[in-house]
Amino acid sequence: MSYYDIDSILTDAEKIPCTFQLDVPDLGYLDNNSGQTLKNGTRIALPLWLAEMLAIANTGDADEGKSFISFDLPPALGNDVVQALKADPRAVPLRDQSAHFYALATHMMDLSEEPELGSVLRKTFVTRAGEIALHARKVGGSAGGKGGASEEGSNLGVGGAGEEFLRGLDEWERSLFRKAHDGAKAGKEWMDNVKK
Amino acid sequence: MPMYGDLGNKLVQHAKRTQNLTHLPSYQTELVRSVTREVRDLDRDVASLLEPFQGSFDPAAEQATACTLLVNHLSMRRNKRCLLAYHRTRTDKLEELVWNGADLLDLAGQQVAGTNGVTGANDGGTTSSLSPQEEDYVRQYSDLLAAYKGHWTDIDLTGSLEPPKDLFIDVRVLKDAGEIQTEYGAINLTKNSQFYVRQGDVERLIAQGYLQRLG
Repeated sequence: MSYYDIDSILTDAEKIPCTFQLDVPDLGYLDNNSGQTLKNGTRIALPLWLAEMLAIANTGDADEGKSFISFDLPPALGNDVVQALKADPRAVPLRDQSAHFYALATHMMDLSEEPELGSVLRKTFVTRAGEIALHARKVGGSAGGKGGASEEGSNLGVGGAGEEFLRGLDEWERSLFRKAHDGAKAGKEWMDNVKK
Repeated sequence: MPMYGDLGNKLVQHAKRTQNLTHLPSYQTELVRSVTREVRDLDRDVASLLEPFQGSFDPAAEQATACTLLVNHLSMRRNKRCLLAYHRTRTDKLEELVWNGADLLDLAGQQVAGTNGVTGANDGGTTSSLSPQEEDYVRQYSDLLAAYKGHWTDIDLTGSLEPPKDLFIDVRVLKDAGEIQTEYGAINLTKNSQFYVRQGDVERLIAQGYLQRLG
Protein backbone atom coordinates (compact mmCIF):
# COMPACT_ATOMS: atom_id res chain seq x y z
CA MET A 1 0.00 0.00 0.00
CA SER A 2 2.00 2.91 -1.28
CA TYR A 3 1.11 6.60 -1.11
CA TYR A 4 1.01 6.67 -4.91
CA ASP A 5 -0.94 3.43 -5.32
CA ILE A 6 -3.93 4.19 -7.52
CA ASP A 7 -6.07 1.32 -6.25
CA SER A 8 -5.37 2.27 -2.67
CA ILE A 9 -6.49 5.84 -3.41
CA LEU A 10 -9.66 4.57 -5.04
CA THR A 11 -10.32 2.31 -2.06
CA ASP A 12 -10.12 5.36 0.19
CA ALA A 13 -12.95 6.88 -1.84
CA GLU A 14 -15.37 4.11 -0.79
CA LYS A 15 -18.07 5.50 1.44
CA ILE A 16 -19.05 4.23 4.85
CA PRO A 17 -22.04 5.24 6.97
CA CYS A 18 -21.13 7.74 9.68
CA THR A 19 -22.98 9.52 12.47
CA PHE A 20 -21.90 12.94 13.66
CA GLN A 21 -21.45 13.31 17.40
CA LEU A 22 -21.66 17.09 17.60
CA ASP A 23 -23.24 20.12 15.93
CA VAL A 24 -21.02 21.70 13.31
CA PRO A 25 -22.31 24.99 11.84
CA ASP A 26 -20.05 25.04 8.76
CA LEU A 27 -20.37 21.49 7.52
CA GLY A 28 -24.00 21.46 6.38
CA TYR A 29 -22.81 20.96 2.79
CA LEU A 30 -21.77 17.41 3.65
CA ASP A 31 -25.47 16.62 4.13
CA ASN A 32 -26.51 18.53 1.01
CA ASN A 33 -27.63 21.45 3.18
CA SER A 34 -25.20 24.22 2.43
CA GLY A 35 -25.39 27.02 4.97
CA GLN A 36 -27.26 24.92 7.55
CA THR A 37 -25.83 23.52 10.73
CA LEU A 38 -24.89 19.87 10.62
CA LYS A 39 -26.77 18.46 13.62
CA ASN A 40 -25.52 16.03 16.23
CA GLY A 41 -26.74 12.57 15.22
CA THR A 42 -26.93 13.22 11.47
CA ARG A 43 -26.19 10.09 9.45
CA ILE A 44 -24.12 10.60 6.28
CA ALA A 45 -22.04 8.35 4.06
CA LEU A 46 -18.51 9.74 4.05
CA PRO A 47 -15.51 8.55 2.03
CA LEU A 48 -12.95 6.57 4.01
CA TRP A 49 -10.24 9.20 3.69
CA LEU A 50 -12.45 11.61 5.58
CA ALA A 51 -14.24 9.24 7.92
CA GLU A 52 -11.12 7.48 9.16
CA MET A 53 -9.40 10.52 10.60
CA LEU A 54 -12.63 12.05 11.90
CA ALA A 55 -13.34 8.85 13.79
CA ILE A 56 -9.82 8.53 15.18
CA ALA A 57 -9.20 12.18 16.01
CA ASN A 58 -9.90 13.13 19.57
CA THR A 59 -12.08 16.19 20.06
CA GLY A 60 -9.65 17.44 22.65
CA ASP A 61 -12.13 16.72 25.42
CA ALA A 62 -9.79 14.89 27.76
CA ASP A 63 -12.57 13.65 30.08
CA GLU A 64 -14.81 12.01 27.52
CA GLY A 65 -12.32 11.13 24.83
CA LYS A 66 -15.08 11.00 22.26
CA SER A 67 -14.53 11.53 18.54
CA PHE A 68 -16.27 13.73 15.98
CA ILE A 69 -18.09 10.83 14.38
CA SER A 70 -18.94 7.20 14.92
CA PHE A 71 -19.17 4.83 11.98
CA ASP A 72 -20.71 1.52 11.01
CA LEU A 73 -19.66 -1.17 8.58
CA PRO A 74 -20.60 -0.29 5.00
CA PRO A 75 -23.47 -2.30 3.46
CA ALA A 76 -20.87 -4.15 1.37
CA LEU A 77 -19.71 -5.84 4.59
CA GLY A 78 -23.15 -6.02 6.18
CA ASN A 79 -24.80 -9.05 7.68
CA ASP A 80 -26.58 -10.04 4.44
CA VAL A 81 -23.34 -10.22 2.52
CA VAL A 82 -21.52 -12.08 5.29
CA GLN A 83 -24.33 -14.66 5.51
CA ALA A 84 -24.28 -15.12 1.75
CA LEU A 85 -20.49 -15.58 1.82
CA LYS A 86 -20.85 -18.17 4.54
CA ALA A 87 -23.34 -20.10 2.44
CA ASP A 88 -21.29 -20.10 -0.78
CA PRO A 89 -18.43 -17.70 -1.43
CA ARG A 90 -18.50 -18.42 -5.15
CA ALA A 91 -22.11 -17.33 -5.56
CA VAL A 92 -21.56 -13.73 -4.44
CA PRO A 93 -20.52 -11.16 -7.06
CA LEU A 94 -18.12 -9.19 -4.83
CA ARG A 95 -17.75 -6.50 -7.44
CA ASP A 96 -21.39 -5.48 -7.01
CA GLN A 97 -20.64 -4.82 -3.33
CA SER A 98 -17.46 -2.89 -3.95
CA ALA A 99 -14.84 -2.82 -6.71
CA HIS A 100 -12.22 -2.93 -3.96
CA PHE A 101 -13.99 -5.39 -1.70
CA TYR A 102 -11.03 -6.94 0.11
CA ALA A 103 -9.12 -3.68 0.42
CA LEU A 104 -12.19 -2.05 1.92
CA ALA A 105 -12.72 -4.97 4.27
CA THR A 106 -9.13 -5.03 5.54
CA HIS A 107 -9.27 -1.29 6.04
CA MET A 108 -12.46 -1.60 8.06
CA MET A 109 -10.95 -4.36 10.18
CA ASP A 110 -8.06 -2.06 11.03
CA LEU A 111 -10.56 0.48 12.27
CA SER A 112 -12.83 -1.75 14.32
CA GLU A 113 -12.94 -5.13 15.94
CA GLU A 114 -14.61 -7.62 13.64
CA PRO A 115 -13.33 -11.05 14.66
CA GLU A 116 -15.84 -13.00 12.61
CA LEU A 117 -15.42 -10.99 9.42
CA GLY A 118 -11.75 -11.88 9.19
CA SER A 119 -12.30 -15.62 9.16
CA VAL A 120 -15.24 -15.39 6.76
CA LEU A 121 -13.15 -13.35 4.34
CA ARG A 122 -10.20 -15.68 4.60
CA LYS A 123 -12.39 -18.64 3.72
CA THR A 124 -14.02 -16.63 0.94
CA PHE A 125 -10.71 -15.74 -0.64
CA VAL A 126 -9.29 -19.25 -0.47
CA THR A 127 -12.40 -20.78 -2.01
CA ARG A 128 -12.64 -18.19 -4.73
CA ALA A 129 -8.91 -18.21 -5.49
CA GLY A 130 -9.14 -21.90 -6.41
CA GLU A 131 -12.04 -21.16 -8.70
CA ILE A 132 -10.18 -18.24 -10.25
CA ALA A 133 -7.10 -20.37 -10.90
CA LEU A 134 -9.30 -22.97 -12.56
CA HIS A 135 -10.88 -20.44 -14.91
CA ALA A 136 -7.57 -18.75 -15.65
CA ARG A 137 -6.02 -22.03 -16.73
CA LYS A 138 -8.97 -22.91 -18.92
CA VAL A 139 -8.72 -19.60 -20.74
CA GLY A 140 -4.99 -19.99 -21.12
CA GLY A 141 -5.57 -23.27 -22.92
CA SER A 142 -8.39 -22.36 -25.26
CA ALA A 143 -7.38 -18.80 -26.03
CA GLY A 144 -3.92 -19.87 -27.17
CA GLY A 145 -4.88 -19.17 -30.77
CA LYS A 146 -5.74 -15.59 -30.00
CA GLY A 147 -2.05 -14.93 -29.62
CA GLY A 148 -0.98 -11.74 -27.93
CA ALA A 149 -4.46 -10.40 -27.28
CA SER A 150 -3.89 -8.55 -24.03
CA GLU A 151 -6.31 -8.85 -21.16
CA GLU A 152 -6.71 -5.33 -19.95
CA GLY A 153 -9.06 -3.52 -17.60
CA SER A 154 -12.61 -4.73 -17.56
CA ASN A 155 -12.29 -6.63 -20.79
CA LEU A 156 -11.27 -10.02 -19.54
CA GLY A 157 -12.35 -11.59 -22.79
CA VAL A 158 -13.88 -14.80 -21.50
CA GLY A 159 -17.07 -16.55 -22.43
CA GLY A 160 -19.14 -19.50 -21.30
CA ALA A 161 -20.17 -20.65 -17.88
CA GLY A 162 -17.48 -18.83 -15.91
CA GLU A 163 -18.43 -15.44 -17.25
CA GLU A 164 -20.90 -14.67 -14.49
CA PHE A 165 -18.40 -15.59 -11.78
CA LEU A 166 -15.52 -13.68 -13.38
CA ARG A 167 -17.64 -10.58 -13.81
CA GLY A 168 -18.09 -10.52 -10.03
CA LEU A 169 -14.37 -10.43 -9.18
CA ASP A 170 -13.11 -7.44 -7.27
CA GLU A 171 -9.96 -5.60 -8.37
CA TRP A 172 -7.60 -7.75 -6.32
CA GLU A 173 -9.10 -10.97 -7.63
CA ARG A 174 -8.95 -9.60 -11.15
CA SER A 175 -5.25 -9.00 -10.87
CA LEU A 176 -4.89 -12.53 -9.51
CA PHE A 177 -6.85 -13.85 -12.47
CA ARG A 178 -4.74 -11.87 -14.91
CA LYS A 179 -1.51 -13.13 -13.37
CA ALA A 180 -2.69 -16.75 -13.35
CA HIS A 181 -3.86 -16.40 -16.91
CA ASP A 182 -0.64 -14.79 -18.15
CA GLY A 183 1.38 -17.38 -16.27
CA ALA A 184 -0.49 -20.27 -17.87
CA LYS A 185 -0.11 -18.68 -21.28
CA ALA A 186 3.61 -18.00 -20.88
CA GLY A 187 4.13 -21.56 -19.66
CA LYS A 188 2.35 -22.93 -22.69
CA GLU A 189 4.34 -20.74 -25.04
CA TRP A 190 7.58 -21.88 -23.47
CA MET A 191 6.60 -25.53 -23.79
CA ASP A 192 5.73 -25.01 -27.46
CA ASN A 193 9.14 -23.49 -28.09
CA VAL A 194 10.94 -26.30 -26.36
CA LYS A 195 9.30 -28.89 -28.57
CA LYS A 196 10.62 -27.25 -31.76
CA MET B 1 -23.81 16.44 -4.43
CA PRO B 2 -20.39 17.77 -5.38
CA MET B 3 -18.01 17.44 -2.48
CA TYR B 4 -14.43 18.33 -1.77
CA GLY B 5 -12.22 15.59 -3.16
CA ASP B 6 -14.64 14.52 -5.90
CA LEU B 7 -12.58 16.19 -8.63
CA GLY B 8 -9.40 14.65 -7.29
CA ASN B 9 -11.10 11.28 -7.50
CA LYS B 10 -11.89 11.89 -11.16
CA LEU B 11 -8.21 12.57 -11.74
CA VAL B 12 -7.25 9.28 -10.12
CA GLN B 13 -9.77 7.43 -12.25
CA HIS B 14 -8.01 8.94 -15.28
CA ALA B 15 -4.74 7.62 -13.87
CA LYS B 16 -6.27 4.18 -13.40
CA ARG B 17 -7.28 4.11 -17.06
CA THR B 18 -3.85 5.37 -18.11
CA GLN B 19 -2.17 2.41 -16.39
CA ASN B 20 -3.84 0.00 -18.80
CA LEU B 21 -3.12 1.94 -21.99
CA THR B 22 -0.09 1.66 -24.21
CA HIS B 23 -0.14 5.34 -25.11
CA LEU B 24 -0.55 8.41 -22.94
CA PRO B 25 -3.97 10.11 -23.02
CA SER B 26 -4.04 13.89 -23.05
CA TYR B 27 -3.17 15.83 -19.94
CA GLN B 28 -6.22 16.92 -17.92
CA THR B 29 -5.24 20.58 -17.70
CA GLU B 30 -8.70 21.77 -16.70
CA LEU B 31 -9.20 19.12 -14.03
CA VAL B 32 -5.77 19.68 -12.51
CA ARG B 33 -6.46 23.40 -12.39
CA SER B 34 -9.84 22.83 -10.69
CA VAL B 35 -8.31 20.61 -8.04
CA THR B 36 -5.55 23.10 -7.23
CA ARG B 37 -8.16 25.85 -7.13
CA GLU B 38 -10.12 23.76 -4.64
CA VAL B 39 -7.03 23.49 -2.44
CA ARG B 40 -6.55 27.25 -2.55
CA ASP B 41 -10.22 27.79 -1.61
CA LEU B 42 -9.89 25.40 1.31
CA ASP B 43 -6.72 27.09 2.47
CA ARG B 44 -8.47 30.45 2.39
CA ASP B 45 -11.34 28.99 4.45
CA VAL B 46 -8.91 27.70 7.03
CA ALA B 47 -7.19 31.08 7.26
CA SER B 48 -10.48 32.93 7.74
CA LEU B 49 -11.69 30.39 10.30
CA LEU B 50 -8.55 30.82 12.35
CA GLU B 51 -8.33 34.57 12.02
CA PRO B 52 -10.55 35.53 14.99
CA PHE B 53 -8.45 33.40 17.33
CA GLN B 54 -5.24 35.31 16.73
CA GLY B 55 -3.05 32.26 17.04
CA SER B 56 -4.47 31.00 20.32
CA PHE B 57 -6.88 28.37 19.07
CA ASP B 58 -7.99 25.77 21.61
CA PRO B 59 -9.53 22.70 19.90
CA ALA B 60 -11.17 21.48 23.12
CA ALA B 61 -13.08 24.71 23.59
CA GLU B 62 -14.10 25.09 19.96
CA GLN B 63 -14.97 21.59 18.90
CA ALA B 64 -17.18 22.51 15.96
CA THR B 65 -14.50 24.73 14.49
CA ALA B 66 -11.87 22.09 15.15
CA CYS B 67 -14.00 19.60 13.24
CA THR B 68 -14.42 21.95 10.28
CA LEU B 69 -10.69 22.62 10.24
CA LEU B 70 -9.96 18.92 10.27
CA VAL B 71 -12.36 18.30 7.37
CA ASN B 72 -10.73 21.10 5.38
CA HIS B 73 -7.27 19.86 6.16
CA LEU B 74 -8.11 16.29 5.19
CA SER B 75 -9.69 17.47 1.94
CA MET B 76 -6.53 19.37 1.04
CA ARG B 77 -4.38 16.39 1.91
CA ARG B 78 -6.60 14.13 -0.18
CA ASN B 79 -6.36 16.47 -3.16
CA LYS B 80 -2.60 16.59 -2.82
CA ARG B 81 -2.39 12.82 -2.88
CA CYS B 82 -4.66 12.61 -5.94
CA LEU B 83 -2.63 15.24 -7.80
CA LEU B 84 0.70 13.61 -6.98
CA ALA B 85 -0.52 10.13 -7.88
CA TYR B 86 -1.94 11.35 -11.19
CA HIS B 87 1.31 13.01 -12.20
CA ARG B 88 3.43 10.14 -10.97
CA THR B 89 1.41 7.66 -13.05
CA ARG B 90 2.05 9.81 -16.09
CA THR B 91 5.77 10.31 -15.50
CA ASP B 92 6.17 6.56 -14.93
CA LYS B 93 4.54 6.02 -18.29
CA LEU B 94 6.70 8.68 -19.92
CA GLU B 95 9.88 7.12 -18.56
CA GLU B 96 8.78 3.76 -19.89
CA LEU B 97 8.13 5.28 -23.31
CA VAL B 98 11.51 7.01 -23.34
CA TRP B 99 13.24 3.72 -22.49
CA ASN B 100 11.34 2.17 -25.38
CA GLY B 101 12.94 4.67 -27.69
CA ALA B 102 10.19 7.24 -28.13
CA ASP B 103 11.40 10.80 -28.47
CA LEU B 104 9.63 14.00 -27.69
CA LEU B 105 8.37 14.51 -31.22
CA ASP B 106 6.72 11.07 -31.25
CA LEU B 107 5.04 11.72 -27.93
CA ALA B 108 3.94 15.24 -28.64
CA GLY B 109 2.79 14.38 -32.11
CA GLN B 110 0.72 11.40 -31.00
CA GLN B 111 -2.41 13.36 -30.32
CA VAL B 112 -2.23 15.37 -33.53
CA ALA B 113 -2.04 12.24 -35.62
CA GLY B 114 -4.62 10.42 -33.54
CA THR B 115 -7.79 12.31 -32.80
CA ASN B 116 -7.26 15.50 -34.75
CA GLY B 117 -6.00 13.92 -37.91
CA VAL B 118 -9.24 14.60 -39.78
CA THR B 119 -10.03 18.09 -38.57
CA GLY B 120 -6.63 19.28 -39.68
CA ALA B 121 -4.02 21.34 -37.96
CA ASN B 122 -6.16 24.31 -37.00
CA ASP B 123 -4.57 24.51 -33.55
CA GLY B 124 -1.07 24.11 -34.87
CA GLY B 125 1.25 22.51 -32.33
CA THR B 126 -0.89 23.04 -29.24
CA THR B 127 -2.59 19.64 -29.41
CA SER B 128 0.18 17.71 -27.65
CA SER B 129 -1.07 15.17 -25.13
CA LEU B 130 1.66 16.29 -22.73
CA SER B 131 1.66 19.33 -20.54
CA PRO B 132 4.54 21.77 -21.11
CA GLN B 133 6.11 20.56 -17.85
CA GLU B 134 5.86 16.97 -19.00
CA GLU B 135 7.53 17.84 -22.30
CA ASP B 136 10.33 19.38 -20.31
CA TYR B 137 10.52 16.25 -18.17
CA VAL B 138 10.77 14.00 -21.22
CA ARG B 139 13.48 16.21 -22.71
CA GLN B 140 15.59 16.15 -19.59
CA TYR B 141 14.96 12.48 -18.91
CA SER B 142 16.02 11.61 -22.46
CA ASP B 143 19.22 13.60 -21.92
CA LEU B 144 19.88 11.76 -18.69
CA LEU B 145 19.28 8.42 -20.32
CA ALA B 146 21.57 9.32 -23.21
CA ALA B 147 24.30 10.37 -20.80
CA TYR B 148 23.86 7.15 -18.82
CA LYS B 149 24.05 5.05 -21.96
CA GLY B 150 27.17 6.95 -23.00
CA HIS B 151 29.19 5.03 -20.40
CA TRP B 152 28.62 1.76 -22.17
CA THR B 153 29.12 2.66 -25.78
CA ASP B 154 29.30 -0.94 -26.94
CA ILE B 155 26.04 -2.00 -25.39
CA ASP B 156 22.64 -0.75 -26.44
CA LEU B 157 20.85 -0.65 -23.10
CA THR B 158 17.49 -0.11 -24.74
CA GLY B 159 18.01 -2.91 -27.22
CA SER B 160 15.92 -6.06 -27.25
CA LEU B 161 16.66 -8.67 -24.59
CA GLU B 162 15.80 -11.45 -27.02
CA PRO B 163 18.88 -12.90 -28.68
CA PRO B 164 18.41 -12.59 -32.46
CA LYS B 165 17.81 -15.83 -34.34
CA ASP B 166 19.52 -14.57 -37.47
CA LEU B 167 22.36 -12.13 -37.70
CA PHE B 168 21.12 -10.80 -41.02
CA ILE B 169 17.57 -9.93 -41.99
CA ASP B 170 15.64 -8.68 -45.01
CA VAL B 171 14.12 -5.23 -44.62
CA ARG B 172 12.05 -2.95 -46.79
CA VAL B 173 12.39 0.82 -46.52
CA LEU B 174 9.08 2.54 -45.72
CA LYS B 175 10.35 6.09 -45.42
CA ASP B 176 13.48 7.72 -46.75
CA ALA B 177 16.05 7.52 -43.97
CA GLY B 178 19.16 8.75 -45.75
CA GLU B 179 22.50 7.05 -45.64
CA ILE B 180 23.59 4.84 -42.74
CA GLN B 181 27.05 3.51 -41.96
CA THR B 182 27.53 -0.19 -41.31
CA GLU B 183 30.72 -2.17 -40.97
CA TYR B 184 30.14 -3.41 -44.52
CA GLY B 185 30.02 0.12 -45.87
CA ALA B 186 27.34 2.75 -46.37
CA ILE B 187 23.79 1.94 -47.42
CA ASN B 188 21.46 4.52 -48.86
CA LEU B 189 17.96 3.87 -47.56
CA THR B 190 15.54 5.15 -50.16
CA LYS B 191 11.84 4.44 -50.01
CA ASN B 192 10.62 1.06 -51.31
CA SER B 193 14.09 -0.39 -51.70
CA GLN B 194 14.98 -3.71 -50.06
CA PHE B 195 18.15 -4.76 -48.25
CA TYR B 196 19.77 -7.73 -46.56
CA VAL B 197 21.46 -6.18 -43.56
CA ARG B 198 22.79 -6.96 -40.13
CA GLN B 199 19.94 -6.80 -37.62
CA GLY B 200 21.95 -4.84 -35.07
CA ASP B 201 22.57 -2.04 -37.56
CA VAL B 202 18.92 -1.34 -38.27
CA GLU B 203 17.06 -2.25 -35.08
CA ARG B 204 16.63 1.41 -34.19
CA LEU B 205 15.24 2.27 -37.61
CA ILE B 206 12.72 -0.59 -37.41
CA ALA B 207 11.56 0.63 -34.01
CA GLN B 208 11.16 4.12 -35.40
CA GLY B 209 9.11 2.89 -38.33
CA TYR B 210 11.54 3.67 -41.14
CA LEU B 211 12.10 0.04 -42.01
CA GLN B 212 9.88 -3.00 -42.10
CA ARG B 213 11.23 -6.42 -41.39
CA LEU B 214 10.44 -9.04 -44.01
CA GLY B 215 9.99 -12.78 -43.60
